[in-house]
Amino acid sequence: MDVQQGTLALMILRTLEVLGSLHGYGIARRIEETSRHRLTLNYGTLYPALLKLEQEGFIAAEWRQSENNRRAKFYALTAAGRKRLARETREWHETADLIAAFLAPRREAP
Amino acid sequence: MRHIRAALARLAGFFTKDRADDDLKEELQAHLDMETAEYIRRGMAPDEARRRALLASGGLTQAAEAVRDQRGLPWLESVVADVRYALRTLRRSPAFTTVVVLTLALGIGANTAIFSVVHGVLLKPLPNRDGDRLLYLRQSADGPGQANISFSVPEVHDLRTGVPSLGGIAEYSPWNLTLQGDNDAVRLDVGLVTGNYFDVMGLSPVLGRLTRPSDDGAGVPPVMVLTHDFWIKRFGGDPGVVGRQVKLDGQSVTVIGVLQPAPFFPDRIDALLNMVVSPHHVSAMMVQNRSHRMTEVVARLAPGATVAQARTEVAAVYTRLQNDYTEAYNPGSHYRIAVTPFKEALGERARLTLWLLMAAAAFVMIISAANVANLTLMRGVRREHELVVRAALGAGVARLRRLLLVENLVLTLLGAVFGVVIALVGVRLLVSLAARYSPRAGEIRLDGVVLGFTLALSVALALLLSFIASLPKEGTFAAWISAGVRRMSGSLRKQRLQRGLVVAQVAVSVVLLAGAGLLTRTMIRLSEVDSGLVAEEVFAMDVPLLQLSGGPSGGTDPMAWFRHIMELDVAAKEQYERMRSEIRALPGVTEAGLGSSIPLAASMLIFDVKAEGQPLAVGEAMPRADVRTASPEYFRASGTPLLLGREFTSTDRAGSGLVVIVNKTFADKFFPGEDPIGKRIAWTGPLLKLSPISGDWRTIVGVSGNTRDGGLDAEPRASVFMPFAQMLSIGGALVIRADSNAPGLVAAATRIVHRIAPAAPIVRVLTVAQIKDQSVSPRRLNAELVSSFGILALIIAAVGIAGVLAFSVSARTTEIGIRMSLGADRGQVQRMILWEGGVLLALGLVLGVAGAFFATGLVRGLLFGVAPRDPATFVGVALLMMAIGIVACWIPALRASRIDPAIAMRSA
Repeated sequence: MDVQQGTLALMILRTLEVLGSLHGYGIARRIEETSRHRLTLNYGTLYPALLKLEQEGFIAAEWRQSENNRRAKFYALTAAGRKRLARETREWHETADLIAAFLAPRREAP
Repeated sequence: MRHIRAALARLAGFFTKDRADDDLKEELQAHLDMETAEYIRRGMAPDEARRRALLASGGLTQAAEAVRDQRGLPWLESVVADVRYALRTLRRSPAFTTVVVLTLALGIGANTAIFSVVHGVLLKPLPNRDGDRLLYLRQSADGPGQANISFSVPEVHDLRTGVPSLGGIAEYSPWNLTLQGDNDAVRLDVGLVTGNYFDVMGLSPVLGRLTRPSDDGAGVPPVMVLTHDFWIKRFGGDPGVVGRQVKLDGQSVTVIGVLQPAPFFPDRIDALLNMVVSPHHVSAMMVQNRSHRMTEVVARLAPGATVAQARTEVAAVYTRLQNDYTEAYNPGSHYRIAVTPFKEALGERARLTLWLLMAAAAFVMIISAANVANLTLMRGVRREHELVVRAALGAGVARLRRLLLVENLVLTLLGAVFGVVIALVGVRLLVSLAARYSPRAGEIRLDGVVLGFTLALSVALALLLSFIASLPKEGTFAAWISAGVRRMSGSLRKQRLQRGLVVAQVAVSVVLLAGAGLLTRTMIRLSEVDSGLVAEEVFAMDVPLLQLSGGPSGGTDPMAWFRHIMELDVAAKEQYERMRSEIRALPGVTEAGLGSSIPLAASMLIFDVKAEGQPLAVGEAMPRADVRTASPEYFRASGTPLLLGREFTSTDRAGSGLVVIVNKTFADKFFPGEDPIGKRIAWTGPLLKLSPISGDWRTIVGVSGNTRDGGLDAEPRASVFMPFAQMLSIGGALVIRADSNAPGLVAAATRIVHRIAPAAPIVRVLTVAQIKDQSVSPRRLNAELVSSFGILALIIAAVGIAGVLAFSVSARTTEIGIRMSLGADRGQVQRMILWEGGVLLALGLVLGVAGAFFATGLVRGLLFGVAPRDPATFVGVALLMMAIGIVACWIPALRASRIDPAIAMRSA
């Protein structure tokens, strides 16, 4: 299953909120695991999304040593990113509720 | 905010591409390595682990591409690619590129240059604060020299108190003063102004201060404000000039400031002073006499008031004045007042000429654009194959259109660059033209607005060129490709467009040429006008000796001032006579005379005049005549023929009987069919009592021929000459006739004048030929400019006709081959092609002549001695166009007739 447009940003932000600073590989693995491998992220999807978030100022990147002593680019949430995450989460819940209400099995007319 | 930030990041990304690419590569590699390591950790063989990781990545190159799209400005990058491609394509067809760029450069250059003048002189806001609220008031009356008679001080006062919609009225009196330098003297054109002048005009000093109301009236020290131009010209822009004392007409005057650059009307001036510098301007006669009109009026609209309001109120006040003071407004002369925005007044002399030139330049642009369009269309046909291939490779219509647009933009912008270079040269020439018509010529610049105009013009052209090229509709590519033909459309529609463009070119060229022809004939007619002088080797010098502004300190007593002037005059007359006799004694000089003014120049003074026994009929305009003086030798020296009676003699001196010589116009007007000799005339009117001229009867002793004193294009005016010795030496001019090479005597004559009167400025030294040329040369420049546009148009149009026909011939090569193999001879083929071109030519000629018929009526005001629809010009222009057009048709026709049928059909 491919990631739906617009939801990937939210997943990335959430991942970074939960796990803190993380490199691209880590983010991809975490998203795939969380989705119980229903989602696969290829690089061409993940990295443009990361770059876009960085350009918009929601995440910040820096080069650091990874756990296995390899140089890697680590991404971390910024204050603006935290705010956006909170807002989008709330909106997402509202939308989900709304859609759920619409799609609920129709009750017989009394 | 988020979008701006992202856009900035993208823009930055566009420029830091290389480093970011390295970073990205490393980041993706790290990802791959970590994933591989993970698979190995799970127990896979290294090779297998790497393969799995690569598979999961979805392709490193694709990923990098996707990131790049997000990072930089993919749109910009592809435009850069398009531009590179366009440059490559254009380099590959250098002939096409050169012709198009040159054609466009000429068109754009002409338009840029002319527009910079139109903008600088007519359109640009004035440098004055709220310059669009400034109004110029003009009083005029019937008769020569009465188009702008300015105002008297009482009139200004009445306007000031009676017109509430004018928030401020400034007075400005043009005047002349002699500036005495350390080793020279120059005549200055100055304005004497009221203290509120600069406030009303909305002008500020760049140095020092300007005059203010406390500088008004008598009994204050005279002060001078330099105009910016004069400050640069005379003082080299020295800031230390402020506070310096200078000698003006013998008085000591303080320079108090330098004015910002600003245009003046009606004439450019060197400096502005308070009124006190001229005793006359603060005298009772100036301040109280309603007919003593020598003050220009500029007013500023009161806040909230409109021009229409001001017009109504001014008209009301003026009507009241005419009723209250009948003696100052002779009903027969139709005194009237006009209120014009100051900016319009500044542009009025230039307007017609400039719009004419702008229209001519626009025509050249139309013709060049048509030519380029035709070239593009033809090239488009040859490129169809390429376009088909590109379409086959997946380029959509929009993409192809963009490619064309970029290509055309490159062409037009290149044209614009060269055009601006042409304009830079052209503007210099045009500034000298504009300076004759407008006080704002100094403001002409190739500034941002002008360059913006050029850019807009180029972009518009590029758009036009890109959208006339027909591209297939989306979805019809398949048909194109499968047809696989090399020439999809030598289509009729496209050919019709090309032919239409040729017809338009011919028509527009004819209009331009007609204009050029009329202006050229105007110029020739003007130079053929008889000036009235029998003068080959004559030159004249303006040497005013009387300095009217000096005089008794205080200068409030008119009689004291008058006595002072009379004393000066005695000395001046003596100096003039010494100059005259010494110059007369120079070898080569055959005669030398003295007069108030050089010949063929308008007199400064025009007075009302009456003839004995001829009362003015009711409602008849008060007759006026130019006031001139002449020494006995003046007529012979200048070459003014004496038609009747005698010249002045040395016995016509102060104290002897008053005599005059009148010109033919005067004699015809007052004494039609009679012998005027012995008749008596007298100066009259309200101005007389202000002047040193008496109203006594004067006997006519001679009649002189008419001379064109108001310019060669103006009818001769009535003139009255008084003996130089019987009149105050106002003005002051020497007229010198030589047996050969008059210009060679100028230096010697100048030395004599300087020796006798070292403090006197020599205002101008001109040969009669030069004076005549002053009338002709602006027209000549007009004619030359429009003619060069016309010739340019003709050449471009000829190239256009030849090009379209040549294209048609090459498209019809096979057809011609078949015709010839079926028995058509060369003559028939030639006639066929000539006919094809001839139809276009004829159509264009008909349209062009019709267009010229309407257009030339608009330039009536610029013509002299030739009707706007002059048949000779029209016929000549049509013949010229036809001749050039036929030559242009002949070349492709000849080529067509040389087609070898065998080769033509084999290659088909």
